[in-house]
Amino acid sequence: MCGIAGIMLKDSSEPFNTGEALVNMLNGCQHRGPDSTGFALYGQAQENKLKLRLFVGQGKEADTAINRIKKFLQEQGATIVDDEHVGEAYRVTVNFSGDIQKFSYALEHAAKVVSIGNSLEIIKDVGSAEDVDGRYNIHNYRGSHGLGHVRLATESDVKPEAAHPFWATGFADVAIVHNGQITNYWKMRRRLEQRGYEFRTDNDSELIAVYLADKLSQGIALKEALKTSIDDLDGTFSFLVSTKDEIGYAKDRLAVKPMVMYETDDLVAVASEEVSLNKLFPGQALNTKEPPPGTYNTWSRST
Amino acid sequence: MVPIDLGKTSVREGNEQIRQHGQNGEDVEIINPDARHHIGVGLVHPITVKVHGSAGYFCAGLSDSARFEVESNVGWGVGDNMYSGSVIVGGNAGAIPGVAIRGAEIVIHGNMGSRAGQVMKAGTLCCAGNANFMAGYMMYGGRIIILGDSGEKVGEDMSAGEIFVGGKVEDLGSDAELTDIDSAEIEEIMEFLDRYEIPFKGSFQKVVNAGKKLRYATSEQQMRSIPFFTFSGTSDYWNPKIQEDLYIKSQIGRYRIRGYGGARPLPHLSDLAFKKDLSAAGNENNIVSKVKMSTEIGGINGANPLKLSMPVMIAPMSYGALSASTKRAIGLASTMSDIAENTGEGGMSDAQRGAAKQLIFQMLGGRLGWNIHDMNRADGLEIYISQGAKPGLGGQLMAKKVTPELAKIRGIPAGIDLRSPSRHPDILGADDLVIKVEELREATGYRLPVSIKLGAGRVRDDIKIAVKDGFDFVELDGMQGSTGAGSAEVIDYVGIPTLSAIIEALDALEEIGRRQDIQIVLMGGIRDGVDAVKALCLGADAVALGTSTIIAGGCIACMQCHVGQCVTGIATQDPEHEKRYEPEVEAKNIHRFLESVRWQIAAITNGLGYNDVSQLSRDDLVALTPEAAAITGLPYEPQYGDADLDIHVRSVV
Ligand SMILES: Cc1cc2nc3c(=O)[nH]c(=O)nc-3n(C[C@H](O)[C@H](O)[C@H](O)COP(=O)(O)O)c2cc1C
Repeated sequence: MCGIAGIMLKDSSEPFNTGEALVNMLNGCQHRGPDSTGFALYGQAQENKLKLRLFVGQGKEADTAINRIKKFLQEQGATIVDDEHVGEAYRVTVNFSGDIQKFSYALEHAAKVVSIGNSLEIIKDVGSAEDVDGRYNIHNYRGSHGLGHVRLATESDVKPEAAHPFWATGFADVAIVHNGQITNYWKMRRRLEQRGYEFRTDNDSELIAVYLADKLSQGIALKEALKTSIDDLDGTFSFLVSTKDEIGYAKDRLAVKPMVMYETDDLVAVASEEVSLNKLFPGQALNTKEPPPGTYNTWSRST
Repeated sequence: MVPIDLGKTSVREGNEQIRQHGQNGEDVEIINPDARHHIGVGLVHPITVKVHGSAGYFCAGLSDSARFEVESNVGWGVGDNMYSGSVIVGGNAGAIPGVAIRGAEIVIHGNMGSRAGQVMKAGTLCCAGNANFMAGYMMYGGRIIILGDSGEKVGEDMSAGEIFVGGKVEDLGSDAELTDIDSAEIEEIMEFLDRYEIPFKGSFQKVVNAGKKLRYATSEQQMRSIPFFTFSGTSDYWNPKIQEDLYIKSQIGRYRIRGYGGARPLPHLSDLAFKKDLSAAGNENNIVSKVKMSTEIGGINGANPLKLSMPVMIAPMSYGALSASTKRAIGLASTMSDIAENTGEGGMSDAQRGAAKQLIFQMLGGRLGWNIHDMNRADGLEIYISQGAKPGLGGQLMAKKVTPELAKIRGIPAGIDLRSPSRHPDILGADDLVIKVEELREATGYRLPVSIKLGAGRVRDDIKIAVKDGFDFVELDGMQGSTGAGSAEVIDYVGIPTLSAIIEALDALEEIGRRQDIQIVLMGGIRDGVDAVKALCLGADAVALGTSTIIAGGCIACMQCHVGQCVTGIATQDPEHEKRYEPEVEAKNIHRFLESVRWQIAAITNGLGYNDVSQLSRDDLVALTPEAAAITGLPYEPQYGDADLDIHVRSVV
C-alpha cells in the first residue's frame, strides 16, 4: 500500500539531481504512504569497488555493529575505502572483486544489509519524504537514475527494514519498488529457495527483486524477465525495477494499482499518480500515459 | 471567469471558493491544477469550471449540474457519482472514469483507463479513443460510447445499460453479448457526438447484458419456518437447525440464503461477568439521572460529532432489507431516545431523514442511492467495507424485494436478484481509501464525521489502516452480527467473534500508540444494556444495536427476511405486508426497549461505583470460561457466573 516513483535521464553522461527529483515526486504522493520512505539511487559505478549500506541503529548498538562489520570485511579481504555512519545507516565503500552473492549472504550474518552494488545505494527509514531527506540529505544526491517509495504499513511493522525499496538480496545493483500484493508469494519463494537463494524478509517486494535478478543472472534480458513476471506472479501489482543501466515496470492484468508515465526524448519518469510527475514540472500540462493492464517496458540509459 | 490559482491556494480552500462562486452563479477557471485530486467535488450549482491543465483523482466527483472542462488529463474516477452536468476531458482519463454516474455526461477526447463506467446507473460516458480492461464493469444502466477499441472483457457483469463500440470489440465480459442496434439509437449517438463536436464516420457494435446471471436459477421459497431461537439451539449433533438447512437445500439445490446471525455457540460477552455483586444495583430511584451517559462520537478530528444521550446507536440496516415503515419506526425511536440512526445500504429516503434527528449515511461498493444531496443532509458519512455476518461479501437483495420504487432510489433495474458488489470501485487498498475519505470530506466541507464499517476478520491490520487513513470512528462488527440476507455457510463460519474483534482492535491501536486517534463503536450480538456495559468496560466508546431493535419492534425471528414476504411487515417491500406494520406504535416499542438499555447501563455503572460511563474499565470484568479468558486476558473466575443474570431480567422504564 504505497506510492512509487522512478526517474531516469536517457543521456546520463552528466549526473543530475536524482535525489531532489525523487524527494519532490514522493512529496506529491505522500498521502499514499505516511509511514516510511526510501530511495534507490544510482551513482557513478567504480570497477571493483562495492558500495555497502547496512542498518546499524544508533549509539552503542551502532558502534558494536560497525566493529562487527569491519571485522567481517577484514576477514573477507575487503579493504575499506571510505565509510560514514548517518542516521540508522552505515555506508561503506570497499575494494572487492570476489563472488558477490557469497559475500553478501555471509555479510548478512554480521549485519543487516540494505543494499550492495557498484553504483546502487538504498536509503530508507521511517517518516515522510521530507523527514528522511532531512536525515540523509537525499536532495544533494546526483546520479543517473533512481527509484523512490512511500509506504503505508498494512501487515508488517513500521521499521526501517520493512521500508522500500528492496534490494534483490545477493545481486549487486538490483532494486525494486512495488505497490500491491503478491498472492502466490510462498509458492514462488519456495521455488527460488530451491535454487539456493536466501530471503531476508517476508516481504513480497523482496521476492519480486530476487525473481528478476535470478532471471538476469541467467542472461535473460530485463524486459523478458518482466514479461514472464506477469505470468508467474499472482496478485495485484505495479512495480518499478532498476539495475545499473536500466529501469523497467510491470503491471498486473487486473490493473488494480495505479501508474502513470511521462516520457520525452530526454527522460522517463513514472509514478503512482500524475500529481507526482507534475511536481517535476509545476504549472505544465503533461502528456502522460497510464500503462494498460498486463504490460511492461524498460528504458536504458546511454552513457 | 473567476480565476483560482492552485499554485497558491490549497485544494480545500479552492473548493470552498468554487462552491461560493457556484452559489453566486459565477464561472471559475482553475490555474496550475498540476494533477491535484478532488478539484470541484461537491459542487451543486450549474456553473462552468475550466481546468487549465490536468486534474487528479475524482475531478467533478459528487457534483450535480455543473459543467467541467479539463484541458489535459484526469486521474482515477472523473465525475464520480455525478448526477447531472458534464465533464469534458481534453486528454486521457485514468481508471474508472464515470464511476457510479447517475445522469451526467462525461466526454473523454483521449483514451480511458480500466473499469470505465463501473456501477454507473444513468447518463453517458463517451470516449473518443480506446477503452481499457472491463469497460462497463457491473454497470446498472446508462450508455457508454467508445469510438476506439473496447479493451478486454467489455461489459463484464453488467446488469443493464448499453455499450456502443466504434472500433474493435476485443472480447466480451461475463454475461455480456452483442445485439442489434436500431437506427434511432444511432441517431441519438450521432446527436450526442455532434453536440460535443466529435467527428465520427464508422459504425457501431452494441454490447448488452445477456441475462444469464441476473437471477438465481431457483429462488428462495417461503418455508414453514422455525424461529431463530429454536433453530439455533445446538445441544445435539442433529438438531432443528441441521434439519431445516437440509430441507431447504433439498428444495433449492444450492447454499441457503437467510436472515439473522450465526447459529454456532461462540465466545461472547455473556462469557464475561462483573467482578462486583450487583444484586442491589438499580434499587435507587432516578438512577438514570445519577450517571453521566452522554457521549460524543466522531468529533476527534474537528467534524461536528454525533451527540448521543447514551453510548448507544442503531446499527446500519438497509431500506431494502427493511421496509420503509420499519426504517421510519427505528428513526423515530432513535429520536425519542436521542441517539443516532444509520441508513445502511440503499440510500436515504425523505421519511427516514425526517424521522431520525441524527442520521449516518452509508456508502457501499455499488453506490446504490449514494449522492451529494443526501450527503449534505446527513449527520455522518460511513464507508462500508464489510460486516460481521458476512465479511468480504456484498449485500443480497432478492428479486421480490427489488420493487420499482426501491430500484429507482438505488438506480438499478427492478426485479433482479441484487448481489451488491463486495468491493468498492475506487478502494482497492489503503492507499486509495485515503483519497476516498478525503473526497467525502472535501465534498461536504469537512463538517461531517467519516466512519468505517468493518466486519471482523483481520482486525489487527484493518484498524491500523483505519487510523492511518484518518477515519473519525470505526463501527466494528463481530461474527455474531446479523444480516438481512447472507449465505448460511458464511454467516456461521466466516469471521471472528465480537469479543476477539474488540480485543484485537485495542491491542493493535496500543501497538502503534494511537488509541486516542479513533473511536470504536462495537456491535454484533449486543442484546441489551448489560452486554453494552461489558463492551464499554473492554474499551469500546459506544455500541450499536441491530437485531435487538427490530425484535423490540415486532420481529418474530423467522429468518426469512430475504424472501420478502415478512408477515410482520418488517423485512418486506410488499405494500400488502407492510400495511400490517404500524410505525408509530412500533417506534414507541423500540423506544421503550432503548430506555431499558439506558436504565441498565446507568444501574450497572452506578452499581460498580461510578457516576460516569467513561470510568468503566476492564478491571470491572472477569471471564467465566477459559476461552473468554484466553481471548480477553481477563482473569478466569467462573465462580462469578450468573451474577448478572438478575439485572438482565430487571429493567424499568
Ligand atoms: C435487516 C438487516 C439489514 C442490515 N443491513 C446492513 C447494511 O445495509 N449495512 C451494514 O453495514 N450492515 C447491515 N446490517 C448489519 C448490521 O448493521 C449489524 O452489523 C448487525 O446487525 C449488528 O449485530 P446485531 O444485529 O447482533 O445487533 C444489517 C442487519 C440486519 C439485521
